[in-house]
Amino acid sequence: MADQDNVETLVVLQPIAVDTGSPDCEGMLVLANGLLVAVLVRLAMPDHTQRGSWFLEAGLGHLAGVRAPMFDTLEDATRWVRQRLRAARVRP
Amino acid sequence: MQDALIRKLESFEELTDADRAALRALVPRVRQVRAHTDLIQEGDIPERVHLILDGYACRYKILPDGQRQIMAYFVPGDFCDLNVFILDQMDHTIGTISPCQVVEISRQAIDELMAQYPQVTRALLWCALVDEAVLREWLVNIGSRQADQRIAHLFCELLLRLEAVGRVNENSYTFPFTQTDIADTMGLSDVHVSRTLRELRRLELITLKRRVLTILDVEQLKAYCGFNPNYLHLKNTRWGARRQVPWLTSGHGA
Repeated sequence: MADQDNVETLVVLQPIAVDTGSPDCEGMLVLANGLLVAVLVRLAMPDHTQRGSWFLEAGLGHLAGVRAPMFDTLEDATRWVRQRLRAARVRP
Repeated sequence: MQDALIRKLESFEELTDADRAALRALVPRVRQVRAHTDLIQEGDIPERVHLILDGYACRYKILPDGQRQIMAYFVPGDFCDLNVFILDQMDHTIGTISPCQVVEISRQAIDELMAQYPQVTRALLWCALVDEAVLREWLVNIGSRQADQRIAHLFCELLLRLEAVGRVNENSYTFPFTQTDIADTMGLSDVHVSRTLRELRRLELITLKRRVLTILDVEQLKAYCGFNPNYLHLKNTRWGARRQVPWLTSGHGA
């Protein structure tokens, strides 16, 4: 188990168009070690208080139902995903 | 001020002269409270019952991760904590959303009234029963309706509750809630609330300008979320017949 904890999760982003029923349609599939774990969407609507930020539109597995902060950059989002998955893995 | 309380209770039950005299003997405090101020916090010992005369308040809890869940909105004429004042300790917090005019009645005074005046007790029970019915409907809302329907349902409910106390003008009412307030009430993200409001505006069902919500097509909005007002029991109260409660407006600036 200790070895497993030391292995960094490989997070890969893939651009995807997302239907959110709003102009927020620029998205990213988030894959962790080849598994789809989340969909991020860039907030484009002028009504959003944090327009331009990345929003966790959907989470799967350990990220399902998690309330995530808004991310200024995709790097921030990737770091957050990696941290959450690491925390979930070490949890008893 | 007692007069306001009497009229409120009389909207549910006929009171006798003795009931009214007992209520007049109460010496409630009236407080002006600023927006975003807690009236009573989780862990506090509830010593008074709060009645909102003006403004909006809410019942909420804060989770260990800082997330807030709002479980009830209070509008003018609502008791905030009738059914919880018996608790040894508050298991949630009651706080204002906008500036409020709040009446405080001591727990002991309520206890004595309820022990001696059955009609007053029945009127207070009515208030509590309707609060519970609203809570049940909110549970249905969060558990079983889609995000956009949830918010539409809240708008319809507030329209009827505020109309019953004379706070609606041409299908418009004061709406001091932020997107985050709505999100924390409906179990949604701010992003979903903002998208839903946009969609409801696009469908020309509502406008929301300078903290005033206008419902442009009430029947369409009700149909949109399958709104059934039965749980508000407005017909069973004398509000149903009058649709106006002058004591609330006379409470302004008191």
